[in-house]
Amino acid sequence: MVFSVEYIQIASYLGAGICVGIGAVTTGIGSGIIAGEGALAIMKQPKANEQIFRTMLIGQAAAQTAGIFALVVSMLLMYGGFDVVEGGWFRAAALLAAGISMGIGSLGPSLGAGYSGGQACKSIARMPKESNAIMGNMLIGQALAQTSAIFALVVSLLLLYSVPNQPAGISIGRIILKSMALLGAGFSIGFGTIGPGAGIGFVAGKANDMMGRFPKEKPKIMRTMFLGAAVSESTAIYSLVVAFLLIFAV
Amino acid sequence: MQFTLAQGIVKAAALLGAGLCMGMGALGPGVGEGFVAGKACEGIARSPENASLITRTMLVGQAVSESTGIYSLVIALLLIFSTG
Repeated sequence: MVFSVEYIQIASYLGAGICVGIGAVTTGIGSGIIAGEGALAIMKQPKANEQIFRTMLIGQAAAQTAGIFALVVSMLLMYGGFDVVEGGWFRAAALLAAGISMGIGSLGPSLGAGYSGGQACKSIARMPKESNAIMGNMLIGQALAQTSAIFALVVSLLLLYSVPNQPAGISIGRIILKSMALLGAGFSIGFGTIGPGAGIGFVAGKANDMMGRFPKEKPKIMRTMFLGAAVSESTAIYSLVVAFLLIFAV
Repeated sequence: MQFTLAQGIVKAAALLGAGLCMGMGALGPGVGEGFVAGKACEGIARSPENASLITRTMLVGQAVSESTGIYSLVIALLLIFSTG
């Protein structure tokens, strides 16, 4: 089979589409959850509308982060100048895998950040005096949920920039093997971040909710949130390790 | 290291399988452990005097929930290093 540069272009355009297409799904849902809860919160507590509106906007901006990562990766895939024929099948597989990784990888974290922000708005409506503490906790929780999106971004950038060109004269078996390993790395970290992202978002949301109900218990709530989020993050780290092995050790 | 085409395809399938295995396998434990920790936050806020009991239950529950993630990790490592 004669390799031509079109194969790399096919892979990078397909990857760019998958990346921002799938990546936009829950970014939209997450921001929508925050806006919905924000509107409901202002209805219940119109006096606190300034604090609620501010929390809603900041929470939505934080929930968009993973979508912006996906946008950046798809721009790089389209205009990054990776389509050189020397790259071979390795480059084609790496570009498709980079899109898959960041696209699927932004599903969980944005959903989690959305839930966390929504609960924060609800909580401020219940206890407007504690709005600063609740907003701080919301941002910490959203940052924890976004860590797994950052893992996906790191793997995408490694796939874009540190996969070498296909060496000349290697067997077809070796080419298929390495290409599938690169695709596998994208799937591993992509799907692997959905669970931890959504799970940590749920923890942070419940913590925000309870901070509005029982403001005195803030240290205990935050301690439990950190501990639970750290345990929940572990599977994302396993996925990251497997993705690194598939990229560098195969 | 050179492969025949058939050997290459077998190993390629194993490597793609390893990625899918760890990826999908991490979905459940992540969501499940997060749910446990969320409910533990709720429980500790409602009855802070039982914080240590609730934390213990949370960690034991998360450890059980983690097991399927570790199964996936083991299978992914086996697929990468000892097949084909």
